[in-house]
Amino acid sequence: MKTQKIGAWIAVLFGASYFIIPLIATFEFSLRMRRGEYSFDAYRSVFADVQFRESFSYSIVMAILTIVFGVLLVVPTAYWVRLRLPQMRPFVEFITLMPLVIPAIVIVFGYLRLYNSSSFIPFTGSARGTDLLLMFSFMTLSLPYMYRSVDTAMRTIDVATLTEAAQSLGASWPTIMFKCIFPNVMSGVLSGAFITFAIVIGEFTMPSLLNRPAFGPYLQLIGANRAYEPPALAIIAFAITWASMALLQLVSRFSKSAPSKP
Amino acid sequence: MSFLELSGIQKSFGPVQVVHDFDMTIEKGEFVSFLGPSGCGKTTVLRMIAGFETPSGGTIRINGKNQESLKPNQRNIGMVFQAYALFPNMTVHDNVAFGLKIAGMNKAAVDARVKEMLGLIHLGHLADRFPYQMSGGQQQRVALARALAPKPQVLLLDEPLSALDAKIRVSLREEIRMIQQQLGITTVFVTHDQEEALSISDRIVVMNSGRADQIGTPFDIYNKPATRFVASFVGTLNLIEATVVDPASNRISIGDQAITLREPLGPVKAGDTVSLALRPEAGSIAESAKGDTALTGQVVSSNFLGSVIRTRMKVGDPVISFDMFNAPGLSPPAVGDVVTLRFTASDLLIIRE
Amino acid sequence: MSAKQAIDFRKTAIDWLGILPFLLFAVMFLIAPTLYLVTGAFLNPAGEFTFDNISGLFTDKILASYWISIRVSLASSLGGAFIGFFLAWAVVLGGLPSWIRSSLLTFSGVASNFAGVPLAFAFLATLGRTGLVTLLLRDWFGINLYATGFNLLSFIGLTITYMYFQIPLMVLIITPALDGLKKEWREAAEILGATNTQYWMKVALPILFPSILGTTLLLFANAFGAIATAYSLTGSTFNIVPIQLYAQIRGDVLHNPNLGYALALGMIVITGISNLIYIWLRMRAERWQK
Repeated sequence: MKTQKIGAWIAVLFGASYFIIPLIATFEFSLRMRRGEYSFDAYRSVFADVQFRESFSYSIVMAILTIVFGVLLVVPTAYWVRLRLPQMRPFVEFITLMPLVIPAIVIVFGYLRLYNSSSFIPFTGSARGTDLLLMFSFMTLSLPYMYRSVDTAMRTIDVATLTEAAQSLGASWPTIMFKCIFPNVMSGVLSGAFITFAIVIGEFTMPSLLNRPAFGPYLQLIGANRAYEPPALAIIAFAITWASMALLQLVSRFSKSAPSKP
Repeated sequence: MSFLELSGIQKSFGPVQVVHDFDMTIEKGEFVSFLGPSGCGKTTVLRMIAGFETPSGGTIRINGKNQESLKPNQRNIGMVFQAYALFPNMTVHDNVAFGLKIAGMNKAAVDARVKEMLGLIHLGHLADRFPYQMSGGQQQRVALARALAPKPQVLLLDEPLSALDAKIRVSLREEIRMIQQQLGITTVFVTHDQEEALSISDRIVVMNSGRADQIGTPFDIYNKPATRFVASFVGTLNLIEATVVDPASNRISIGDQAITLREPLGPVKAGDTVSLALRPEAGSIAESAKGDTALTGQVVSSNFLGSVIRTRMKVGDPVISFDMFNAPGLSPPAVGDVVTLRFTASDLLIIRE
Repeated sequence: MSAKQAIDFRKTAIDWLGILPFLLFAVMFLIAPTLYLVTGAFLNPAGEFTFDNISGLFTDKILASYWISIRVSLASSLGGAFIGFFLAWAVVLGGLPSWIRSSLLTFSGVASNFAGVPLAFAFLATLGRTGLVTLLLRDWFGINLYATGFNLLSFIGLTITYMYFQIPLMVLIITPALDGLKKEWREAAEILGATNTQYWMKVALPILFPSILGTTLLLFANAFGAIATAYSLTGSTFNIVPIQLYAQIRGDVLHNPNLGYALALGMIVITGISNLIYIWLRMRAERWQK
């Protein structure tokens, strides 16, 4: 029993160093901009950069749109499948897992070929169209997480009874959807939303290949051209991820149904 | 010398003492039940015999050998758990063979022994099934076969029937008892179900707050409960407060009706209160009923329970329940009726703490 | 058509109408693009059926990129699974204080999502030529890391970097499986005479095996499809398949669009097979843990 405990401590210490040393190193590096002393110059430089602000706000807007439309797509579908089409569940679940099976770069490759300016749905023909396509591609990326967390939340409420109760009180479908179902799966929606946010903010492949000025490609560009700003950006990105996950933990603690990774 | 000896066993978890001075000797081939409510320490005693817990004091001997320095895997004990605990990655055959392979038995001998054990539990045809493909009752029989396969010196059963349906519970407990007698294996059975304990044990230990309240045959435990706890835990019982009228002649009164007890009252004086116990099945209100003692009361309720009708009557303040066997054509007493319950004075037990 | 049939038909139609938006989305943004690439892989530029693109994959350059991708994914998934398993074991069964468990799980939730470009920056700042660890090794221990042949922009460097998100992912998925090991299984094995080693070899590891193998495959697919970290770490000098495909999408470096489709098909096949085996193994593991 004693050796087991020592082994456990060794494993945890090793894991902790693996996780923490790069963070310390990154932070240390980000302070080195001024020769001979530590300073926050790199952060100042980052925040002063117009491109940073533009790309970051672009990604935030995209993340919010992705979340809104993702929720509008996923919640009614998950609800309807549970209520009326239970035989379709394996199929729908399989579809929602597809983005984990097919690499993002492959999916966006397909978009570029299918929706180019000469195709019958020329998404990439205009900047707005490309933004729309990018939003759909983010929805695709977050689909596994969003569906999983909403469906988990839905499992804890009895969808059929809730619907019948609302119908017997004379509620219309929109009322049922927005007054009964949404509030009850809010925890799942929020969990999905925070993961989506973390994914969209950092995503590189899709906006890069669609040539949109998002945060991910901006990071890559800075990485290729600057020395001290990238670690500062890494620290900022880590803080954003951490905040999203902390909110997610908070939400799932309030509702008992913790979302699990698919 | 007894086969399994527990002497002066103590167990504390931190500041909480869960087993106090537990003494018990079990003969070879005996089937002993530890009966008590949850938290009474019965499972802890069992786990100390198995070696999963170390006693804080006292000694455990099996066949004369002190078990103190032995780990569970050196004790040669068989154990069946409440939740079956079959290895889910192994077939029935492999589960039963596990202990034999560990012991280094050759393959032919293992196969023969597994076949024999599966025959014993009538599951020979399911040897290739996995646990998840079987019902709870079947799984628990396999667990029994697995525990018995390496020919353990002692068999420990930790609430093996609690997770099962009522019907399977009854049939499996009979099967366990039959197999135990057939093999003559020394067995300790932990349960909180008094009916289970009464029906299959040679002896029962009734445990309460970490102590053995009474050790005796099922017949003794039921008919001569030593403490108020045993009396109330085992079977249904009327507990009646009575007033001493005359200690010298054993006269007491229940709701102003004086009766004479067979058992000496002991050192009490007139006007004291004593607790008496009476089983509901001990008396009868039939005209033809025999009995040297009678109490008259007014019926307050009458419940049909299937094989019996349980009636409650008020004798002054105390309420006494009695059972009558159901029979077609019987007219059960109605609420408000005045009835006379006849019984033998010796069935009325004095409960001393 | 009778009235009843008509009503039934309408009801069915409404049922399907309910998931129509989802189906439309799935077809437009998942199924059609995938099918387009898959069929494209079997067509020549003139639109005729051919196996040329598939056989075109079996050239030295493309095979080499698949090979390095497989090696990096395999090494980072095996390393991640191995270390992640021990970490999960330590917090579940190692008898450590419970705050370590909750901190590790919280941290894993963050770190498994901390991938892409920032991760590359973090490792450049750690193990790059002027990274903190590189400098400390030089100043404190006199070890010149880069003189030993180490290079962050290489197989080993990329593997170490990928493990930063692989280990936490393993911890997150395998912890519930370790929690699922019932205490009674250990006790049953012990009372039947098994030692600790025998219990692990014959009971615990076989029970965990589908989860461990399945998760390793998931990690493999996860690393195989990743591009952002590698791309910003090494630019286009390090020819893993996603980078190759990226270059192909940007500029048709293979000079054959349909060969690009075949490259994508190869990725789908590899990640698809690993994921399908993962799902199958996970179902098996869940069946056991009932």
